[in-house]
Order: sequence, then C-alpha cells, then structure tokens
Amino acid sequence: MFYGSMFFQYLAQYMKTRLQYRADLFVEIFSDLLSQAVNFIFILVVFGHTSLLAGWSRNEIIFIYGFFLVPFAVFSSFFNIWDFNERYIVKGEFDRILTRPIHSLFQIILERIELESLFGAVTGIAIMFYSGIKLGLEMHWYDPFVFLLFVIGGALVYGGVFVMLACISFWADARTSIMPMMYNIGNYGRYPVDIYNKAIRFVLTWILPFAFVGVYPAAFFLGKREWTFYSFLTPVIGVVFFTVSIFLWNQGVKKYRGAGN
Amino acid sequence: MKMKNAIEVENLRKEFKGYSSRSGLKGAFRDLFTRNYKIVPAVNDISFSVKQGEMVGYIGENGAGKSTTIKMLTGILTPTSGRIMVNGMNPHQERERFVQTIGVVFGQRSQLWWDIAVQESFRLLKKVYKVSDAHYNEHMNHVIKTLDIEPLLDKPVRKLSLGQRMRCELAAALIHNPPLLFLDEPTIGLDVLVKLKIREFLKEINEKYNTTILLTTHDLSDIEALCQRVIMLDEGNIIYDGALNSLKEKWGEGKELQFQFLKDPELNAVQNLTRGMPVYWELDEKKMVFSAMIEDNELVSRTIAKVAEAYQIRDMKINEISTEEIIRNIYEKGSVS
Repeated sequence: MFYGSMFFQYLAQYMKTRLQYRADLFVEIFSDLLSQAVNFIFILVVFGHTSLLAGWSRNEIIFIYGFFLVPFAVFSSFFNIWDFNERYIVKGEFDRILTRPIHSLFQIILERIELESLFGAVTGIAIMFYSGIKLGLEMHWYDPFVFLLFVIGGALVYGGVFVMLACISFWADARTSIMPMMYNIGNYGRYPVDIYNKAIRFVLTWILPFAFVGVYPAAFFLGKREWTFYSFLTPVIGVVFFTVSIFLWNQGVKKYRGAGN
Repeated sequence: MKMKNAIEVENLRKEFKGYSSRSGLKGAFRDLFTRNYKIVPAVNDISFSVKQGEMVGYIGENGAGKSTTIKMLTGILTPTSGRIMVNGMNPHQERERFVQTIGVVFGQRSQLWWDIAVQESFRLLKKVYKVSDAHYNEHMNHVIKTLDIEPLLDKPVRKLSLGQRMRCELAAALIHNPPLLFLDEPTIGLDVLVKLKIREFLKEINEKYNTTILLTTHDLSDIEALCQRVIMLDEGNIIYDGALNSLKEKWGEGKELQFQFLKDPELNAVQNLTRGMPVYWELDEKKMVFSAMIEDNELVSRTIAKVAEAYQIRDMKINEISTEEIIRNIYEKGSVS
C-alpha cells in the first residue's frame, strides 16, 4: 500500500523533472519515435533475407522479436541499474538511499525510472500485429491477459539477472564491464532456442534464462503447443529469479563498505 | 523523569579489509594472484553514550574514524563487532523503522532533487516519512521561517548557492521532526553569516524539541558555539570525551603574546632574551609580528619586561590559546592526560 503510493509519488517527481526541460522533452519524444520507426523498418528488412530457420518461418521469427521488445522495454523503464556501481557505490549516493525508510532497491528503481523506454513496447506490439496478421493468427479473449502475464514475467527475468549483477558491487570493487556483455547475451533469447546446441539452450533456459523473455512465451501465441510448458514457466522463472536477486541484494547491503571520504 | 540515552555504543568496532599493491609491473602481476591483504580497524572498540537533548561535537583528523562511526550510528554500515543502540533500536537490523527517527545531513551530499523546485523535494520527503499535513504545517512553517528559505522554495536546487542549498538541506532533514540529528560537516564552505544562522537554528530546535545533535566538523568554532561536550577521535580510538571547558582548562593554560616593534630585530636576538625559559617564539615575516607561546602564566610579565627593556614596542597583544591550537597540541602528543 505504502509502496504503491510511493511508486506514484516518485513517478510524479520524475514527470516534474522531465517537464522542467520542455524543449528537451519534445525533441526526445520525437527522436524516440523516429528511432523506433527506423527500428521497425530495419527489423523487417533484416529478417526479409532469412527464410526458414530450423522449422520457424520468417514471420514467426519477426513475431518473436516483436514480443521480446515489450518485456525488454518494461525492464529498461524500471531497472536502470546497469551503472549502479559508478552512480551509487563509487559516488557514495548509496549512503543517502540507506538513510530513507524505504527498501533500498525499491528506492533505486524509483529514482531511475525512465518511462521513455516504453516507446520500445509500442514498436514491439506493432511488429507483433504486423507479423501476426501475415501469419493469420487468431486473437482469443484471454490472449491480452496471458500476454500481460508473460511480459511481467519476462521483465522480472531481466530485472532479476541485472539486480544480481549489480549485487557484485557490494562484494568487489570490480567495474561493471560485465553489464554490456549481459545485454548481448540477452539478445540470444529472441531467436528460437532449438537452433542452438544443447549446452547453450540449457544456459538460456536455466542459468541466464533469457529464452523466457523471447522465444518461450512468444511460442504460445504462435500456437506451438509443444512449447506450452515452457511458455507458462515464464512468470514462475521471473518470480524465482527476482526473489533470489532481492535476497542477494539484502545480503549485499550488509557488506556495503561505503565510499571513502 | 529519568533521562533516556539517545545513543549507546559499547566496544564498537569496524574493520576494513584493504590491500597494498606491490610496485612495478612484476609486482602488478604478483598482485593478480596473491594480494597483500591487511585488516585495518577504522573504529577500534569505542564506547560512549549520548543523552537525549545533548549536543555533542565529534572531532578528529581525516581518517580518524569519524565518518565510519556516523555511518554505523545511522545504519549505513554494519559494525564488525560491538553493541550499538540508537533511539532504542539496532540501526542496521531495523533500518527502515530506525531511519524514521533520525535526520541526517551530509555536507557534501544532497538530499534534494537537483532539477526541480525545493518544495517538490519537501513534498516527496513528507510522503516518504509519512508526515501528516497538520504536523508538517505546524513544524515546517516554523523551520522555513527560521531558516529564512521561504523565497527559495519555488526555485530548482541547481540554481541555489551553497549557503541557500545547505539551509534547504537542513530543513529537508527535519521534515519528520526527528529526535536525533546527525550532521556531518554541515558548515563546510559556508560564509560566516550563513554559519551563524545555522548555529542559531540548531540551538533553537535543540531547546524547543530537546533534539539530540551529533555533529562532526573541521570548524571548531561550530563546536565552541554549540556543544558542551566533545568526543575526540584519533586512529579509531577515543582520546578525549568530556566537557569542552575542562579540555580548555587543562590544555589551554598559558598565553600567546604578540609584539610589533618600531625597528624589527632578528628572531635569534629575540629568542636569546628568553633563553632558559619555556617560551617558544614564532615570526610572521609578512606582517613582522613576533609571537611568543608561554605555557606558564607566571612567565608572561617577565617576558614582557625583558622584551620591553630591549626593544621599542609599537603594538602588543595578549591572546588566550585558541581551541584549535589546543587540539593541535593534543594530536601532536597523541593523547589527553
């Protein structure tokens, strides 16, 4: 209850900050929309050259990519913790976080909201409709609800993995060069996992479960019944990974050394 | 009524694991595999307690362990060992409930949102600390008036001067009217007028709400103006804990004499005058001021007599030894007693 109201309070704060720079805001929205449009065309052109890939048609692959963009956009809007080490640990801003009566991870999520990333979801949904129509997919009454469930699950998978990576900063002074690499690995989840060998598939399912942000949940909407089990595992994996990451975070906070003055 | 202790600390210790790097490329390679770890105690088994309503100055040189102690008292760092009880709670274990009862101002760090008006930050913090409208209005109207920040409230923080920002920071730390206030270098870099205003304000809230204040600062005049008690830290140990006055009585004996002469003599010649007496001479070459530190008050008139006999004096001053010098003396000696 308190956390819900805090979410909206911080959201309002974020909006106020944004509105301070009016010109900046318009330019940014315009460039975001433009880059999403370019993205959309780019994806269609790139995938225009692929044909069948291990039993997946071109439009199916485009559909998976479209789906992937949605949870990824949600993740990017709310989990801006890729620079956690530099911004909070090295600069000592984490001290301030710890003197406020809200869970520290929640505060950081709230402080770093970037709603403009949600534009990516618009592109994603547009791509899904485009390829869905080409594939002649039918919409069921429950599809939007399942979609929402899978999107949240996928965003939690991403969130969980990146929170765990951020936790490394509590134990080691290591630079966070591992983060960009992880963004790369995350991209593999948007291709059908059966094109990879078994080991990679295992990693993408159970260790760094990025397949749950792309191919597994998307397969449900493509009517691939053999994947249904994995599709509905998406929210479970999301909750499990995110819970583990919070647990790790809480342990890490006890190890926080503070920035030297 | 029995006085309650706001802070109780027993054998508090915080160790950091550090490593020293070896020199050269070869050393760097060796560091890659085996590092020279060493455990450094930043705070070394200290004990003290602070009563509700006390204003305590916490002083020490850089790296003496001041910040580390404050961070343990505010729940930011977990102690390595020892018992710590602040406002009846263990700061780190019950962090979220605990921080509701303290206010914190870190001089070099901002609590406020940089890009938006000050009052928007206040509004959000009011929600964060779950302060009711009635409490907020009653308490904050007074704070805003005393700190004279009414005209700043609709300005974004980035457009404020340091002094203006600091006053807003202080107000922000008091939104939930905490019974205990931690101030880490609150007057660093501020001009004298702002300093005076902040001191006045702290005194006032201390009297009005019986707020306990723990203050670290490099500026001893803050401490002289506010605190009856000081805790002095050196290399993680408490080397003095007691009244500022008795520290002065014990160490502040003696005077400083300053002379200016019509014709400037050599420093050697002046030093020769008091040969055999515990008098220490210094010369400020720019202004040609000769100063003599005299530990024994009885030697003051004898020194004056000898100097006056030998040279024509243009100006002379007798100063008390300042707190700053007392503390410098203590650190040079390494202990009180």
